[in-house]
Amino acid sequence: MHKRGGVGLAAFDRQEQSKRSFAELSTQLSQSQVDNLHAQLNQFRTALAHFATTHRDSIRRDPAFRHAFQQMCSTIGVDPLAGPRKGGWWAEMLGLGDWQYELGVQIVDVCVSTRERNGGLIEMEELLGMVSKLRGVGSGEITEEDVVRSIKTLQPLGVGYQVVSLADGRKMVRSVMKELDEDQAVVLAIAQQEGGRIVEEILVKRKGWTRGRARAALENMLLRDGLCWLDEQDEEYGKAYWVTSAMKWDI
Amino acid sequence: MSFSTFTTPTGFLLPSVHSAPPFFTQQPYPGTNATVTEQWITLILAYARHRKLFVLRVEDAEITDNDWQEVVRNERINRKLLPSYLSSIIATMVSKNLATYDPPGQTRSALLYWRLPEEWAEVLHGWAISTGQLNTILTFYEIADPPIPSPLSNIPINLLRKAIAVLAKTGRSQLIAVADGEGVRLFQGK
Repeated sequence: MHKRGGVGLAAFDRQEQSKRSFAELSTQLSQSQVDNLHAQLNQFRTALAHFATTHRDSIRRDPAFRHAFQQMCSTIGVDPLAGPRKGGWWAEMLGLGDWQYELGVQIVDVCVSTRERNGGLIEMEELLGMVSKLRGVGSGEITEEDVVRSIKTLQPLGVGYQVVSLADGRKMVRSVMKELDEDQAVVLAIAQQEGGRIVEEILVKRKGWTRGRARAALENMLLRDGLCWLDEQDEEYGKAYWVTSAMKWDI
Repeated sequence: MSFSTFTTPTGFLLPSVHSAPPFFTQQPYPGTNATVTEQWITLILAYARHRKLFVLRVEDAEITDNDWQEVVRNERINRKLLPSYLSSIIATMVSKNLATYDPPGQTRSALLYWRLPEEWAEVLHGWAISTGQLNTILTFYEIADPPIPSPLSNIPINLLRKAIAVLAKTGRSQLIAVADGEGVRLFQGK
């Protein structure tokens, strides 16, 4: 006559009890899931820490390895510099944040100290060479990519450091708050080939510019932006412009 | 093509900027002009010290065959410093107390201070001590043209007079009129 979950007062008790049991079971289940996740996270963290400590030196020293590491980071969606703390947990583990900031400071150092003679525009190659000299490492230890990345870390400072690509694929780093217009980029590229010297005629002949356009571009660079030196004793044309960042010095 | 240093026949090492053609033109952009002029001033003072030259004239950029040829000209790139620019460089040097117009009241000729009058004063005092000539009367001629060459050989009288004036402030010199012009007596001082 008794039915489970029958109609008597005792049925209430039974229902309450099974509800409790289900709740307990579900807590147990999610607890074990959380535990499992924690364990996995810990494992990942340990592995990462292990990786960081074992490869720390390679990451800092070897440009190829650093490149691979940074690619890996971007693939799995980890920013080696991001995090709640100054350099981020990951960066702290690797010391990579410091490395990057340090490089940034050295880039600023080179850009500022050469600004007087290049007007705030330096060729990537020269910058790499001078930064390597500052760090006392051989050339090739610091790569173009490192510089680009460091310049990105400087961005929040709002100092206007920018990597400018020329028509022929070469890169320059600009450290002054000035917009480089398209014509100036063309002038820069040609000046590079000419050892720095540039005259209106070259732009007219090679680029088909009108004389007015050529003159405007050159005069702007000379008088507005201070990117050129003027030579009033040019043998061929009497007046020539010298783009300081394209002039090569044996010092 | 790149710009390099060059050693002149008198053994002076010209900086690489001296082989850059635009170095010889006055720059219209103020920032650039300040930088380039600064480099000229450093070069001029270094060369003056090297050759012991005391005077620089605007004329040195106009005529050939003078003491400044190696600096105001670069035959290898066929450039020369234009007199107008040299005049402006000299004016900047005067404003920075690295030179003084001499004689005063004109701007074509200047006395270069590769040593300041204060420094010449110490050189003069040191020379008098080391040659045992304290407390005796020395004519300007004896100082500027001593029998044994000294650091003060050929020092212009106007510069010497300034150095003596500096020493007078600390009681180490006294100007004295002598038969054939001026003389000075130097003292040990405190």
